[in-house]
Parts: sequence; structure tokens; C-alpha cells
Amino acid sequence: FSAAEKKSSDLSNDIPTFNVENLQSNMKIIYYNWTFLFIIGGVIARILGFTSLTGFILYFLIMAITSAGLMAKSGFSTHSYFDSWNRAVLDGFFSGLMSFVLFWTFAYDIVHIF
Amino acid sequence: MGLGFVVGVFGVLILGHAAYSTIQYRGLLKITEEEFSGPPMNVVAELLLGLVFCMWAGLTVPGKFLSILPDSEENRYCCLSFFRYFFCLVDLYLEIGDLYLERVLFVWLGGDRK
Repeated sequence: FSAAEKKSSDLSNDIPTFNVENLQSNMKIIYYNWTFLFIIGGVIARILGFTSLTGFILYFLIMAITSAGLMAKSGFSTHSYFDSWNRAVLDGFFSGLMSFVLFWTFAYDIVHIF
Repeated sequence: MGLGFVVGVFGVLILGHAAYSTIQYRGLLKITEEEFSGPPMNVVAELLLGLVFCMWAGLTVPGKFLSILPDSEENRYCCLSFFRYFFCLVDLYLEIGDLYLERVLFVWLGGDRK
């Protein structure tokens, strides 16, 4: 009985339990945040006249500042709000890149061509 | 959220004005037959200000992060209150039961006989 108790307590210690609804809500907040700021970043990159590599440098700069802002918003305790710190920092990397390039190109058409 | 939304709209308007100013500046460069190397410094300052406002709005408008830990205050408030109430009742009934049993035993063993 004590061995079974110990095994079950070990099992309960190994499996972390999270509030899934809150985790999904936090992920939505991060997604909206990344998308909005990368759209703004794309427009700014084109207004400044950045092309090719300099535009991507601005992308990474905005990503770094946004990550820092999200970490500050969580009080630098990401384990309380996310299951891993990667979610707060890296999760919007590729989806944000597509939004950034789309509005970077769109702003180029508006500002520099038309 | 309301103030954040207003700040975000203001930031977008500032960026729109910066884009319009850049379009006007490019028109001027076409007349003077010069190449576009970058917007003027006042437009750059506008872009930075717009970026700051949009970043602040992006971090505040979507809402606050919610804790995912099961033992955090906001997640366990109702359950803890319920269990605390339940176990208080159990303790109370056990105490009443003990007193009753003590009284019964006392009477049965002839404690009340004079």
C-alpha cells in the first residue's frame, strides 16, 4: 500500500496540471500582440525605406522589444502564465514574419509606387 | 482597455501621417530629381512615437495574463472556500458526535446516578 501510494504521488508530481482555459487565453493575447506589432513594424520598415536585410534586422529588433514587453507584462515569471518561456518569446516568430513581409510589401506599393 | 485602445488609434494615426508626409517628400524629390535615401528627421521621430504608442496599446489592449497554476489564488478561490466550508462542517459534526458519545457513555456507566 505504501509503495502504491508512493508511486501515485510520484506520478502526480511528474505530471504538471495547468488551467487550460487560462493558457489558451494567454496564447490568444500573445498572438494578437505579435500580429499587430509586426503589421506596424512592416509599415514602419517601408516608410523608412528599408530593403532586404535591413528590413529583417528591423523585424528582429521589433521581435526583441515585443518579447521584452511580454516578459515585463508577465512580471518576468512566465512559468505562472505559460507552460514554457518559448511560448512568450518565440511562438509568433513565423506567423509574425508573414504578416511583416505582407505589410512591408503593401506599404512599399502605397508609399513609394502609387 | 479604453485608454489603451485610444492610444493605439492615436499611434496608427501618427503612422498614417508619417506615411503621408513621406509620400509628399518623395513627390518633392521627384521634382528636384533626387533619390530617396530616407525620410526627414521629423518623420523618423513621428514613426518612433507611433511605434511606442502602438507597442503600448498592443501590450495593454488584449487584456491581462491569467495564471495557469492550479494553486494560484485566482484559480483556487471558489474550491478552497467550498472545501474549507465542507471540512469545517465535518469537524463540527465530529465534535458534536464526540460530545454526544461521551454523554451516552457517562450515563450508561452510571455517572448520573446519585
